[in-house]
Amino acid sequence: MVNPILLIVIPLGLAFVVPLFRFISKKIEKFIPFFALLANLIISLTLFPHVLEKPIHVSIGGFLPPLGINLVAGPLGILFAMLIALVGFLVSIYAFAYIKEKDQEKYHILYLLLLTGATGVVLTGDIFNLFVFFEILCISSYSLVAYFGDKPGIESAVKYLIQGAVGSSLVLIGIGLLYGQFGTLNMADIASNIHSVHSISVFIPLVLLITGFGVEAAIFPLNAWLPDAHSSAPSSISAILSGIAIEVGLYAIVRVVFTLFGASSILTFLLFLGVITLLIGELCAFNQENIKRMLAYSSIGQIGLIVFALSIGSLSGINGGLFQLVSHTLSKALLFLAAGYMIFRSGSMNISSFEGMGKKMPYTSFAFTIGAFSIVGLPPFIGFPGKFMILKAALFEQDILFTILVFLILLATIIEGAYFFRVVQTIYFKGEKSTPGQEREIAPLSVLIPVFIFVGLIVVIGIYPKLITEILESSASELLNRADYIKNILP
Amino acid sequence: MRKLISLILLVIIAGGIVLSLKEIPFGISKIKIGDYYIKKGIEETGATNIVTSVVVSYRGFDTLGEITILFTAAIGLSAVLGTYRKRKAGEKVEPPSFIVKTGCRFLFPILLLVGAYIFIHGHLTPGGGFQGGAIIASAFLLMYLGCEGKRINENTSIVVEVLGALTFIVLGIIGLTIGKDFLFNFLPKGEPNTLLSAGIIPVIYIAIGFKVGSELAGIIDHLIEKNQ
Repeated sequence: MVNPILLIVIPLGLAFVVPLFRFISKKIEKFIPFFALLANLIISLTLFPHVLEKPIHVSIGGFLPPLGINLVAGPLGILFAMLIALVGFLVSIYAFAYIKEKDQEKYHILYLLLLTGATGVVLTGDIFNLFVFFEILCISSYSLVAYFGDKPGIESAVKYLIQGAVGSSLVLIGIGLLYGQFGTLNMADIASNIHSVHSISVFIPLVLLITGFGVEAAIFPLNAWLPDAHSSAPSSISAILSGIAIEVGLYAIVRVVFTLFGASSILTFLLFLGVITLLIGELCAFNQENIKRMLAYSSIGQIGLIVFALSIGSLSGINGGLFQLVSHTLSKALLFLAAGYMIFRSGSMNISSFEGMGKKMPYTSFAFTIGAFSIVGLPPFIGFPGKFMILKAALFEQDILFTILVFLILLATIIEGAYFFRVVQTIYFKGEKSTPGQEREIAPLSVLIPVFIFVGLIVVIGIYPKLITEILESSASELLNRADYIKNILP
Repeated sequence: MRKLISLILLVIIAGGIVLSLKEIPFGISKIKIGDYYIKKGIEETGATNIVTSVVVSYRGFDTLGEITILFTAAIGLSAVLGTYRKRKAGEKVEPPSFIVKTGCRFLFPILLLVGAYIFIHGHLTPGGGFQGGAIIASAFLLMYLGCEGKRINENTSIVVEVLGALTFIVLGIIGLTIGKDFLFNFLPKGEPNTLLSAGIIPVIYIAIGFKVGSELAGIIDHLIEKNQ
């Protein structure tokens, strides 16, 4: 069996190697992320069947868990590692043709580091180590947002940097308070002692950790940076930020709430926060004229929906939330990639400049449409089973509160449908007469291949949701059975 | 009004932190892992500097992450500042005075020596790779202040940086193949309090020293360039 630590070490080592290629050939460096993430994808796929039987624990440096740092490759960790590797791999193909400006070497290093950080966060079993990888993820995303070096890019990166740095400091204070009480940084060790101290002294660290990670997860009211950052970053990075970075922030929150603290009482609060985030995200998205800002606000909305589903706290709720998370990652990455190429061709981010795209760029427009339908939740795409599972789980609670919240979610979905259909309508049915005689422009293969792999995954998983439900169910039960998690690490 | 609201929020947060701090017994012997490190550290890692044994051995993976954070920040800075490289020519820089010049020339080799001493002895005396590297970078800062027109070679600094980080990772991978654990201390631990002890710890610290030194020097280079 492969050691899961390779999932972190391979991309990290290759990121350090990239600068050396300037002495050999400048043309090789763009293939490094491709190979690193291909390796990660293969390793996580080979680990996948083992993990379903029993979570894999790896200690580092030869010291057993409470003393040293350990990795926990449970179903949830491997699910995320697989998603990160898959999306990262496909987006690295997209970057072959898309990233041509400036110092490409730095783009590829930072890109690899971002994904290394994300993989580290989801695999580690140590709360401080989680913070370290979280910082790698955040710092590389700040600089990637500013990659083009234009004014909006720098401005939004600084905004993101300030909010992110405050969030990270809160996380660090929270970890410090936890260490002061328990004298250990191992998550399982803290989790096993969490109920032995006064509740106020664990409540404050919990609040600090949720707030700190909440900035990256873009939960209302901590999401002011997101629309700017996601819209002014290069589109390949927007896809990663929307598809990976905020999900990893959410993973950190979920891990802290469910495993570390076992705090089921805070879930009701998160339930409301989720629905508010959903409504605000969708309402703001409705008013946008800029396509990337619209997609960014839609990400906020989707994160709200996922937070709601995870906070239901039942097995089927978490299951639905994770399904929705996978579906959002795939669909939103597809949307940003497709929109990115259309923006590249039309030269403008305005939705109105997409008029007639359906004729000019038929394949890319088709892919964008699939992504939009999937986000809205139309069958037979992946978004439908996700939303369906969440609504079923919420209604199963048989509580008047849940019925009201479900009503609000359906309302938000209608808004979501309205603005996505408006874009699709602009692409296909507007402006045909004003721009006649435009010849077709087919996007290069390095754009079409990743985009259509995403389309394929969205359709196939949409038709056979069973393909991923097994790992989702074991991930959900990993989150709910914290006793098992503790027992596996500290026997 | 906005100020008032933020003030109230701050008071609430501060109050909460004070409430929880009152309950938390910082620093007493309840810190069980810390106790273990103090009692067993020298025996298990061979490093007489307990902080080093924790930083490089027990929590070596965190240190790998931290040098990666520094690397990320340096690369990010050069990616962002690289945009503004076209600067107005003829901006006047005041030449350093004779005292500054001589002082910098005098201190430069001494600082390099002190930095190297600190990271080579990281497992024996206070200090280590990060501290030694920072001192070395400060020597280069003096060079920029005192010696007009001199610059570090960007390619050399990148190569040193990369080789430093790769040494860390390669040692980790060797540990993985020999001892089945990443970063396993596979070299003989030797006798405590001697220079050649603690297995891979001094090797890692020397690599970190070189890496941090050249990285911070590179950051200084990028920041200084702006006014030239």
